[in-house]
Amino acid sequence: MSALADAPAHLVTAAFLDKLRSIVGDGNVLAQAEELLVYECDGYVVEKQTPDAVVFPTTTEQVSQIVKLCNAHHIPFVPRGAGTSLAGGCLPIGGGVMLALTRMKQILEVSVRDRYAVVQPGLVNVHLTQRLKGTGYHYAPDPSSQGACTVGGNFATNSGGPHTLKYGVTVNHVLGAEVVLPDGSVVELGGPVEDSPGYDLTGLFVGSEGTLGICTKLYVRLTRDPAAYRTMLGVFETVDDATQAISSIIGAGIVPAALELMDQGIVQALEQAFHFGFPLDAGAVLLIEVDGLEVAVDDEAERITTLCLANMAREVRRAKTAQERQLLWKCRKQAFGAIGRLSPSYCTQDGVVPRTRLPEILRFITDCGLRHNIRIVNVFHAGDGNIHPILLFDERDKEQVERVLKASDEILEKCIDLGGSVTGEHGIGVEKISFMNKLFTPEDLAVMQSIHDCFNPDGQCSPGKMLPTSAGCGNEYVPRKNPGRKASL
Amino acid sequence: MTNAFTPATQTELARFVAENAQGAKRPLTPVGGRTALHFGYAGKDGAQVVDLHGLSKVIDYPARDMTVTVEAGLRIDELQTLLRTERQRLPIDIAQSARATIGGAIATNTSGPRRFGHGTFRDYVIGISAVDAHGKLFKGGGRVVKNVAGYDLCKLLTGSRGSLGIISQVTLKLRPVAETSAFLWCPFEIFAEVENALGRLLQSDARPVALEVLAGSAAHLIANEARAGLPSASPVLCVGVEGTPQEVEWQLDRLRKEITPYGVQDLIRVEGESAEHLWTALTEFQTSADDPLTFQANLLPSRCMEFADAAVKLGVSVQVHAGNGIVIGQLPEEAATVEQALAALSSLRQFARQAKGNLQVLHCDPEWKSRMPMCGDPEPAWPLMRQLKQSLDPHGLLNPGRFIDA
Repeated sequence: MSALADAPAHLVTAAFLDKLRSIVGDGNVLAQAEELLVYECDGYVVEKQTPDAVVFPTTTEQVSQIVKLCNAHHIPFVPRGAGTSLAGGCLPIGGGVMLALTRMKQILEVSVRDRYAVVQPGLVNVHLTQRLKGTGYHYAPDPSSQGACTVGGNFATNSGGPHTLKYGVTVNHVLGAEVVLPDGSVVELGGPVEDSPGYDLTGLFVGSEGTLGICTKLYVRLTRDPAAYRTMLGVFETVDDATQAISSIIGAGIVPAALELMDQGIVQALEQAFHFGFPLDAGAVLLIEVDGLEVAVDDEAERITTLCLANMAREVRRAKTAQERQLLWKCRKQAFGAIGRLSPSYCTQDGVVPRTRLPEILRFITDCGLRHNIRIVNVFHAGDGNIHPILLFDERDKEQVERVLKASDEILEKCIDLGGSVTGEHGIGVEKISFMNKLFTPEDLAVMQSIHDCFNPDGQCSPGKMLPTSAGCGNEYVPRKNPGRKASL
Repeated sequence: MTNAFTPATQTELARFVAENAQGAKRPLTPVGGRTALHFGYAGKDGAQVVDLHGLSKVIDYPARDMTVTVEAGLRIDELQTLLRTERQRLPIDIAQSARATIGGAIATNTSGPRRFGHGTFRDYVIGISAVDAHGKLFKGGGRVVKNVAGYDLCKLLTGSRGSLGIISQVTLKLRPVAETSAFLWCPFEIFAEVENALGRLLQSDARPVALEVLAGSAAHLIANEARAGLPSASPVLCVGVEGTPQEVEWQLDRLRKEITPYGVQDLIRVEGESAEHLWTALTEFQTSADDPLTFQANLLPSRCMEFADAAVKLGVSVQVHAGNGIVIGQLPEEAATVEQALAALSSLRQFARQAKGNLQVLHCDPEWKSRMPMCGDPEPAWPLMRQLKQSLDPHGLLNPGRFIDA
């Protein structure tokens, strides 16, 4: 394990556990070592720490009571959804109590007329869209892990997904929230109506990675289903040509619904897994979807095809049936699952560059892999400039691990150099905390720290996350020891 | 107000604020185009005006990334003219664009009819720099369209009305311009039928970008401004679409079929130059200041027609962004005293509250302000907001007494 093992001796006593049980009932508290093992990490498997107890509240009132109880005993606490996050956002630093919100999964209200839904945080993302089927509306944020991840987790990390290129990330679809603040008080931010007076605290809370409080209810915006769409696969000889094509498409003022790149390494793994009929000799493929009015989508698809061909695409195929489209998206969304075929361990990064710099960062990634003798494959949200290079290695080989860490850091630093960011959708969590002072000045961080301290003065709520200065329980931050990310679905 | 301080650079702005924080500790009132100075309460006397119009540089416009970084004092018309050279735009309707600045528009979170199709500033501001009450220049977000590093200070500062920091620079996400746009202007006899039509439009085959309802003398005023010879019966449902000529044509045709069954009196196409005038008139309505008082109510969209009906009976001119549940209302001239104005507002305020919303006064006689809901009824999170204001601006130097801390 890690430096976390040095955390101060926990204060979770048998009497404390009894108090937890009296709040949520015997069946909703886990405290046995073997039961807690499941909760030692999220999708970021590098650092592990088991909480002292996991509680499953079913009401806001219970969340509030648990938080108050923890405060009274100076015990740190951290919320958790499905644990699919990729940056250690729900790592229980300093142990303490983990509030698993997965039993708060009700859809409380759906109003198509007023285009909103009220849901509990533990609801699985895709369940909302399934429930909305037939209404003409859907919930737009669609992270690749949407079959498992929760809307509360999406709220905490401001999750993206392929279709956020056109429709925006989670924050663009959250109207309000009920939150339990770190002192245990309950407050409503925003609500089902737009333009609530005052500061946009909802917007501030989204993406705050659990450091400002615990979301117990969400008001989300429903989005009209596209009238029509066309899904295409552009086949390119090289990654360079594919990234140039992306630049041309965006540069021409076309905003597709989604624009995803998969390179040869990924395509080969996907083909083995799903037998879609991907061209195995292509350097890269682009998965492109346009949506809009039936009367317009063919024109837009045609313009994109022309731009792809002008950038040396070998061919541009169209998904002819709904089934074919579905299979294409299944391949894309389960790409990470197919990587097991390539390597025993892998580590993915979440950098962002301006879209015009994609060719440059991709060349850099290739060079970087060669320099460090690490195989790197790519599958990412190209239209947003959000890269996900996947570094393949064997974690049993410590020397390889070192090289992977070095290569990862170089890639992220290059993203910063090119005017980008180190995270587009996974979050800072504990993983990228050391990059915060490369992205932000001490003045920027001081303002963020003031905000943190205003809500979470003792730092007991999600300690050690996001801010390099957010000391909690003596942990400045978790040093990165080794990669080994298994990632999401 | 005394002489304004007009910095030429962001560093100069920061230095001035820092000196004030260490020295005189005068309240500071940041201004852009001075188009929204009437917002909020009167604030403290002796405020020092900080005029941002000198900060108007375009820092970076990588058009092929569809983002732009500009200083906060850049005027909206200048910004849009620049973007048009690349066939791009910021698709937010901002009134008085020849005066308003991008920083001011963000600080007041202004919007207009296109918000139904394109959203508001919280969907477009991806990076922001500001000077805090201590005179420190800080930033949030960045210059890329997707970024979740750190707290989202863009959201916090949007709509903060200069009370948390003086916005000095912003990075915006952009959209392509629409080739063309048009409206269907649909006079109705009763609000209930408009509501039925709106319900139908939520399932439309078209994708309108604006769903406006005009009632009381608003229909007349806006019809006049649009100079298209439109009948100014009331209420009017006005549906805006954008796209290629082919998309616009197809949508107008669909909308006509969809709206026709709902007791509409007429369906008039507004196109070309008239459509441009109509967009402008719909955008500027909220700023016409001849009336004694302008308010904005936000409520559930499904309750807007009932609200508008009640408002019209009180003599109020009403513009509804019906897809979003936003109502702009102007009291009639007869509401000449503060008591009369309050009386007219009280039932509407209550209605908005019941429809899960709120009502705030945008503009009124300065003498009336202390008795008016200039910032709406306090939301449950108000104490938390005050705490946040206090922690970022402990000496209350930024627009004190005008917004959260009034």
